[in-house]
Amino acid sequence: MRLVNMLAQVDAEKCTGCKTCVKVCPTLAIQIVDRKAVIDSEKCRSCNNCQQRCPVYAITMVKREKPFKVYVDPATEDRTKIDELCAKAKFNPEQIICYCTETRAEEIAAAILKGYDTPEKISLHTGVRTGCKVECIQPVLRLLEAAGITPERPDGWQWYGRTPTVWDIPEDVKAKYSKRGFYFDNDIELLNKVAQTKKSGKEDN
Amino acid sequence: MGKPITPMKPRVSQYGVAPEFVTKRMAEYPEMTSVMLKDLFADTPEVIYPSEKGLDAVREAAEKALANVDMSMIKPGDSVNVCASHHGFTLLGGEPYALLLKTVRDIIAERTGTDNIRLRAGVGLRFRETEEYIKAFGLDKHYKGRAKGVAPVDEGIPIETEIGTLYGIKAIYDADWIVHVHNSDVREVHFHRQVDRAVKPFGMSYARIETRSTYHQNLGPRAANFTARAIFGSEFVQNKFAFAAFLDMSPAGVVGVDADNDLLALNDRLTVNGCKYYGKIITLFGEIDECIAGLDFPCPVPYVFAAGVIYCNFAGANVDLFDLDNPLPPYTWYTEAFYGKNGRPLVGDVPVVNPAIKMVVHNYAWGGYPSAFFSSHVPTIVVGREQADLINRDPQNIEYVKHSVIADDLDSAMEFAYKTAKTDKVIIFDGAVGGLNVSESLAQLLIEKAPQVNKRVDVELMPKWLKQRGIDPATVK
Ligand code: SF4
Ligand code: SF4
Repeated sequence: MRLVNMLAQVDAEKCTGCKTCVKVCPTLAIQIVDRKAVIDSEKCRSCNNCQQRCPVYAITMVKREKPFKVYVDPATEDRTKIDELCAKAKFNPEQIICYCTETRAEEIAAAILKGYDTPEKISLHTGVRTGCKVECIQPVLRLLEAAGITPERPDGWQWYGRTPTVWDIPEDVKAKYSKRGFYFDNDIELLNKVAQTKKSGKEDN
Repeated sequence: MGKPITPMKPRVSQYGVAPEFVTKRMAEYPEMTSVMLKDLFADTPEVIYPSEKGLDAVREAAEKALANVDMSMIKPGDSVNVCASHHGFTLLGGEPYALLLKTVRDIIAERTGTDNIRLRAGVGLRFRETEEYIKAFGLDKHYKGRAKGVAPVDEGIPIETEIGTLYGIKAIYDADWIVHVHNSDVREVHFHRQVDRAVKPFGMSYARIETRSTYHQNLGPRAANFTARAIFGSEFVQNKFAFAAFLDMSPAGVVGVDADNDLLALNDRLTVNGCKYYGKIITLFGEIDECIAGLDFPCPVPYVFAAGVIYCNFAGANVDLFDLDNPLPPYTWYTEAFYGKNGRPLVGDVPVVNPAIKMVVHNYAWGGYPSAFFSSHVPTIVVGREQADLINRDPQNIEYVKHSVIADDLDSAMEFAYKTAKTDKVIIFDGAVGGLNVSESLAQLLIEKAPQVNKRVDVELMPKWLKQRGIDPATVK
């Protein structure tokens, strides 16, 4: 669940049209029109990325008059399919995959089942990747991959690609480093246990 | 016990309230006192800073350490990126780290003849934080206008590693050579578990979001820091890496400066020192039976300091965070992820948040880091409407204040905390240097428990911690 309470606003006087903001916006809410950045207020999820990276400080965050929430309710999609997707991506459906919005793997799975087939669409509808903008890209890519989807990269720096997981680490690499304090196999055991454990049982709300 | 130590001053920053809103500090109350680290643990190392010599001692130590480093690979005209991280600027007001960065530049220029030296300063989750430090400490001027803050959402570069493709920030690596300037403060032991701690920035402040997400979501709580090792060990990084220079820290201050062309050798030295210097105070914090914790320092909630220990490690001090047999600290992101919808852990391996913390008084701490976990697990009072409003505007903390109560001022917050928490023990995370500010009742407990903690760490825990990290305790003095 993401409460969207702020909105990015461009000072057209200051904007140089450099496109940095366009390249970092996780929901593709910015376009350059007549060499100035223009923000689609419907699509802005108040993540601050553009305001934090604009080289000339042309963007400010302002309070929205009407804050709103974005959320995909897992109860609106087939439970078995949600569980299958999460299991394939090696997540427990209830596992939190975005710490800022407390979004759980099952919500992303439900969003994918609704047809949101890119990280950008998923962010727009669930709010993931709009808090810290850093930590939750891999779970999103892993869940898309589990659904057999290879999303097309946007023409910016939003994300580059799926990276290795602990299950992918070659045995020789594990053997080389495990005596130095990296507990690869124990972590695999723990993550498998989490993924396979039954849900806590609380109804969706 | 003595008078309270002067807390670290509030800092002008877009991530916290303006200093004028911090009208009273927790250390000002008459029931507060201070305990010096030296009085708790006799083997607390001597520090060069703070000392009578002031910052000159840091410059001298840096010059001496760098004299032994080979810089012959850097030719006149070569480009060099001096890579820094925000963390160093949060130590002792930031001046020692800023001075180390200036000294490194001066010496590279002097010894190699190149003038094409740039500062690239990485961040945590506050993308303009190092920009603020660069200006505040005059680093832009010292680096002749070639200083910039870089963020994990900036343009990336793929790096082929032993485990597959990871991604770095392009601007970190856009030079012939890179120099890694960091510090040995243990800080996030809940993340790196004091394994390859010196290498961590390669997987974090120098890395793109894909890599940082790998660290916190793909590898697991005790394999996470391998992300950093994999990047550092890549051919791409090895071909550019010139040397590393570190502030050698202890909870009491700067012990010295360590520099080496071999980062892994430097890492081994710092691993031992970190376990020793920080292991004792963190273990002692685990002995606290009940308290009110005060947050009163210019950093996000988890990163405020008391005696060199960050608050989130106090929130986990009921478990031995250095012991790698414990899979999950009470707070780390993997732990946070494993709480189900009913608020209970999904698996039995999740330890509870330190039950000794009865209440948190958030007098002054920044946003810019997902912190709702803390206010949802420990009763929290946020001081001041301005501070609560600022946190509510922060995209990383939409839920933090929702789980807290707001007090108009510190006096009413403290009154409420004493009444509700039913303890007079208070620990203040205000960055006091050389010791920590606490209530007299807590000071007594710390002084009483310190000798047995001292012995337990020396005899029982240190040998275990070192063995787990592949270091033979017999080789350590
Ligand atoms: S980053 Fe700033 S200057 Fe560049 S296009 Fe966007 S608003 Fe304009
Ligand atoms: S979603 Fe973020 S980057 Fe995009 S316009 Fe809104 S604040 Fe800017």
